[in-house]
Amino acid sequence: METRIGAEPPVVILDGALEEPLRDLDSYRAVGGYAQLERARAMTPQQVTEALIQSNLRGRGGAFFPTGRKASFIPTPDKVAKPIYLTVNADESEPGTFKDREIMLRVPHRLIEGCLIAAHAIQSKHVFIYIRGEYSTEYEVLGAALAEVRAAGLLADVELTIHRGAGAYICGEETALLESLEGKRGQPRSKPPFPAIEGLYDSPTLINNVETITNVPKVLELGPEEYAQIGAPPDSTGTRVFCLSGNVVRPGAYEAPHGITVRHLIEDLGGGIADGRQLKAVMVGGSSFPVMTADQIDMRLDVDSLAQKGLFIGSGVITAIDDRTCIVQFALRIAQFYMHESCGKCTPCRVGTRWLVQLVRSFEEGSASEEDFDLLLDVCDRIIGKCLCVLGDSAAMPVASCVTKFRDEFRAHLEHGGCPFGEDSSLAHLFAPSDQHHHNPVAQEAPV
Amino acid sequence: MTLVAEIQKVAKQYPESRSAVLPALRLAQEEYGWLTREALEQVAEALDLTPAYCMSVASFYDMFHLEPVGKHMVEVCTNVCCGLVNAQAVLEAFERELGVAPGETTPDGEITLRAVECLGGCSTPTIVAVDRRYRQSVTPDDVAAIVGELRA
Amino acid sequence: MSTPDAVRVTIDGQDVHIAKGTGLVETALSAGIEIPVFCYEPRLGEPIGACRMCLVEVEGMPKLQTACTMTAQDGMVVKTARTSKKSAEGQNATLEFILVNHPLDCPVCDKGGECPLQDLTFRYGPGKTRMSFEKTTFEKPIPISPTISLDRERCILCYRCTRFSESVSEDGQLVARNRGAMSVITTFADEPYTGPFTGNVTELCPVGALLPTQYRFEARPWEIVDVPTVCGMCPVGCNTHATVREGKVKRILSRNHPEIDEGWLCDKGRFGFTHLRAADRIVDPIKRVRRRGFEPVSWDDALDEAERLLRAAHGRVVVALSGSETVEEAYALAKLVRHGAGSHEAVLPEEISDALDAYRLPLSAIAGAQVVVVLGDEPVAERAPIVDLWIKQARRKGAKVVGSPDDDAVRGAERVVLVWSGPGGRGGARVAELAERLGLAGKPGCGAFYLPQTPNGRGVADAWSACSDDEPAEADSIGLLIVSGDEAAGNDNVRALAERADSVIVVSMFHGLAAGWADLVLPGTSYLERDGTYVNLEGRLQRLRQTVPPPGPSELEWISQLAARLGVELAPDAPAVFAELSARCYGGLSFGEVGERAPLRGYVDAPAHVEAPPVPEPAPSTNGHGLRLVAYKPLFSGPAVERVTELQFQRPQAEVELSADDAKARGISTGDSVTLGSNGSSVVLRARVNKRLRASIARVAVEHAGGLSGYVEVTRNA
Repeated sequence: METRIGAEPPVVILDGALEEPLRDLDSYRAVGGYAQLERARAMTPQQVTEALIQSNLRGRGGAFFPTGRKASFIPTPDKVAKPIYLTVNADESEPGTFKDREIMLRVPHRLIEGCLIAAHAIQSKHVFIYIRGEYSTEYEVLGAALAEVRAAGLLADVELTIHRGAGAYICGEETALLESLEGKRGQPRSKPPFPAIEGLYDSPTLINNVETITNVPKVLELGPEEYAQIGAPPDSTGTRVFCLSGNVVRPGAYEAPHGITVRHLIEDLGGGIADGRQLKAVMVGGSSFPVMTADQIDMRLDVDSLAQKGLFIGSGVITAIDDRTCIVQFALRIAQFYMHESCGKCTPCRVGTRWLVQLVRSFEEGSASEEDFDLLLDVCDRIIGKCLCVLGDSAAMPVASCVTKFRDEFRAHLEHGGCPFGEDSSLAHLFAPSDQHHHNPVAQEAPV
Repeated sequence: MTLVAEIQKVAKQYPESRSAVLPALRLAQEEYGWLTREALEQVAEALDLTPAYCMSVASFYDMFHLEPVGKHMVEVCTNVCCGLVNAQAVLEAFERELGVAPGETTPDGEITLRAVECLGGCSTPTIVAVDRRYRQSVTPDDVAAIVGELRA
Repeated sequence: MSTPDAVRVTIDGQDVHIAKGTGLVETALSAGIEIPVFCYEPRLGEPIGACRMCLVEVEGMPKLQTACTMTAQDGMVVKTARTSKKSAEGQNATLEFILVNHPLDCPVCDKGGECPLQDLTFRYGPGKTRMSFEKTTFEKPIPISPTISLDRERCILCYRCTRFSESVSEDGQLVARNRGAMSVITTFADEPYTGPFTGNVTELCPVGALLPTQYRFEARPWEIVDVPTVCGMCPVGCNTHATVREGKVKRILSRNHPEIDEGWLCDKGRFGFTHLRAADRIVDPIKRVRRRGFEPVSWDDALDEAERLLRAAHGRVVVALSGSETVEEAYALAKLVRHGAGSHEAVLPEEISDALDAYRLPLSAIAGAQVVVVLGDEPVAERAPIVDLWIKQARRKGAKVVGSPDDDAVRGAERVVLVWSGPGGRGGARVAELAERLGLAGKPGCGAFYLPQTPNGRGVADAWSACSDDEPAEADSIGLLIVSGDEAAGNDNVRALAERADSVIVVSMFHGLAAGWADLVLPGTSYLERDGTYVNLEGRLQRLRQTVPPPGPSELEWISQLAARLGVELAPDAPAVFAELSARCYGGLSFGEVGERAPLRGYVDAPAHVEAPPVPEPAPSTNGHGLRLVAYKPLFSGPAVERVTELQFQRPQAEVELSADDAKARGISTGDSVTLGSNGSSVVLRARVNKRLRASIARVAVEHAGGLSGYVEVTRNA
């Protein structure tokens, strides 16, 4: 089955592509494609950046940093003797996230147009799109679109290179992405220096997510003022391609303005919880963030509303978790994911994620003790804020939130001497890749 | 074109040739099936790096194989979104059908089964990448047909 | 604030005035505050902030910051673990994490007692473990080479070793494999970590993960003495510590001299000491008694015999020197034969010109050069290894490294350094001429180096000339040849002289070298057994200390006894001999003033040196298609290296290096079998294409050159 696409107007990112993908240049041009590029190139770089600032477009990769401001940090060519690079982060790997993939499949030209406009804004002559290695079809679709653009002469004096990753979640972290693009192990760099000053090949580099860049032509088309009215202004402008998954009737990619509620997404767009079950929790933003409990689903999906409850919009993930799910198993699987994806550079993340897996597993197996609650939370605390990049926090925050929000369920495991769901949990016995290391013979003794 | 020449051509897309390590390793793996000692040495030679460096980089990424793998690759997502629906059942169906555990290759060297982290197809679980192509909404009932296709 | 670049940083309430941009670790240290580190090591390049040991609170930043990656900025307010609970908790957390998988096998760890992890755990770490699960386990220890073992369980993945391999030695052999908790340090496949500098990782490792195999279970820190001395294995003269236990050298460590070695040491210097206890070490004098027989004799008998031979030579004595003698030994020998026997004929180990004195610089100046011109075709690392590291550092800092003084890069560059690495340099005279032509004299940051073949060739020449101004008399026969040291004994020219000599005395450390052609063999000593001074390739006078006693009397002792028999007064100890010669060639400097970290001094009235005949340039081949053969003496060669079992894997491969162009023209790729031929002789070798090698030469370690010389034809074997 193909991915279900839906929308709650106004439609921005997937405009014109809700029914059929807009893959070829002609059909994209038919909906006004590349007109904004022409307009932008007639503007000064400064004016384009200014428009982005006015729109208050913010990063869709997870950090929600104002895009225009980030672009304004890039020094102008007269200030630096080095080239300036634009790098687009298409290394989508956050569990629950599939929007960039849909964007690349449905509106590849809008992404490329966005790249070229953004390149103009920062006066970059070389754009790299770092696409996750597993995305084969997406790479081909994007590559075909690029070939058309190149043939049509739209690149002008800009070079655009599509670079394929090779399977490492951490390369979605911007400095790890740069290391990987430089042909190294994708281990994050210590900041400062920030990429805007010393990024790719030590040159000024702007890094933006696919969805963010795809918004750029629309910011110009609608005008920054009108764009800024969409969604939940002033801070959460525009729309999102929300990634709805888990135990809902109609999972899919739904473009909707910021500010719609989780309930609306799950119940109205998603058709509610499948199989007549009850909602138990929601993974909001992605697996890197604290989980939302079922009683919080009337919350609006904008950055301010979520922040009040210690939640994050992340990459627009909404994964419904129903009442068949053992939350300890959920926390374990999250911890296993981060242990597997930790790059190994800094101590707290490399060691802490493995320890977390061991601790959560001891709860799941019922062998932990009451004191281990404090230990587990303290280990989370000792990871959070002490790592080189946010991956460690991303492991510790959701695990800690599961413990604090579902402490009774954790305790039930201790009392029951194992999982009280038995075989009925949807996540029972779920196998994690960290338990298989066939590509890795030197360290066969290491798995936990 | 020789592998070395092909790699050097790819390297021209980049301001610094070392950036071509990932594409080079991909090309080498396509040619050799997995990253043999010789494959790594070729990549190293083409990009003026050491084989140790190339091995170090390759070992960081899940898609590169430093040990022999089957001619075909079946990768089942077992992250939470697929897991919440039916991923474990799909994985187990493949284990039964192929007679191997995740991470193993069938004795005839044909098919390697792997569990993988989120493939970015969360709304159509379970995602199974068969020879790097996504199959969406795979259920245990589909497994026999997929394996049959690969065996054909 | 004294200078405009100085900034004020407040650390733990203390104001520090320091140059802007100074690292926070150093800034704190200047106020007497220690910020603990594991991964931080400024010599490895940019800090990476990986271990998270140095977490501090910086005002205005919500998260803890790594002090190693931060630099001093004006008005910065920093709180370390001494005054910040948050920082103390951060450090404690890091140590807890580091120890989670550490085996805590300190009682059986060679690093125990001198281990940063032990020390920092003692000072900042948790007192008990909360980890109750299985630790990561690995097969251990595994050899990563015959000289280094790796214990992956002890490894804390600070990446110091891999950064050294990538960014200092640039050999790219020691790397991390896998990701996250599965990461391990490794080499490619099962290849040993090979190269001139590998041993440095054993000193960089802040835990007991990378250890020298020679030191395994050899000593505990409270049983040892680290004796400061200077390496006598090559002309660089790296400063070292010899770790001694119960009269035996157990290991050699670097002793950072920032101008010479920056704390790096090559593997020959580091691991080349077990030959002191070699089975074939000569410990007693031996004398030829019948036509082809030798037997040990007492020292008295030996000196009787030596005296007899000296007298019987009637002034026709020739001394062949190795260039590894101390200045004092060379002087003593000179005085013995020049004053005692009236002979003034010496075969000096190599020509050393003092013309370079006008272009003298510390080696560290290479790192600051804009252009480094490397002349001569022998690998720098094979002649003077540390110089190669300085050149690499210069390149990393943006310097151009070129092969000709006429290169465009040289023109207009402000800081140019010339390095002559190979034969034909007339002891530095030619590179000095080039330096003069380029106008480098007196220009700051400009200078020239000649890489001699012997560790103390210059000091030996100094001592020989300081002893007397008399010229050698023309003599057509040799009454007695005195061969001083194993290098001279192994020299073909010296052997040829021995054929012509009536009698031969050899001073040698090992049996076999002089067997068959010496009349008397006296036990030699190693640099590790000597007190005295050496002059390195910079012209720097440095102090050797006796780290262990030699098996018998030292050279100075028996030479002084022999001298006394000939009526020559000669002190038996280095300080007194030095005092005598220093007045003549080192400006009267006293032995004590030479110093443990010797400065680079100018020479006072440097005497003219004995000139060796110029080396003839090889004649071009007749057909013009040949490559000039560069047969170099490899670093890992010589009598000492031959006797260190662990170093055998480092000896050069039977291969020939070719430039990319020459290889291409002949259809040769790396790994191909090729034949080198010249005048009817040939040798078969494996080819290695070296992209950095200049065209029209074929470079081979001399032991694999099959006796070829001049120009060779190189062809690919079918």
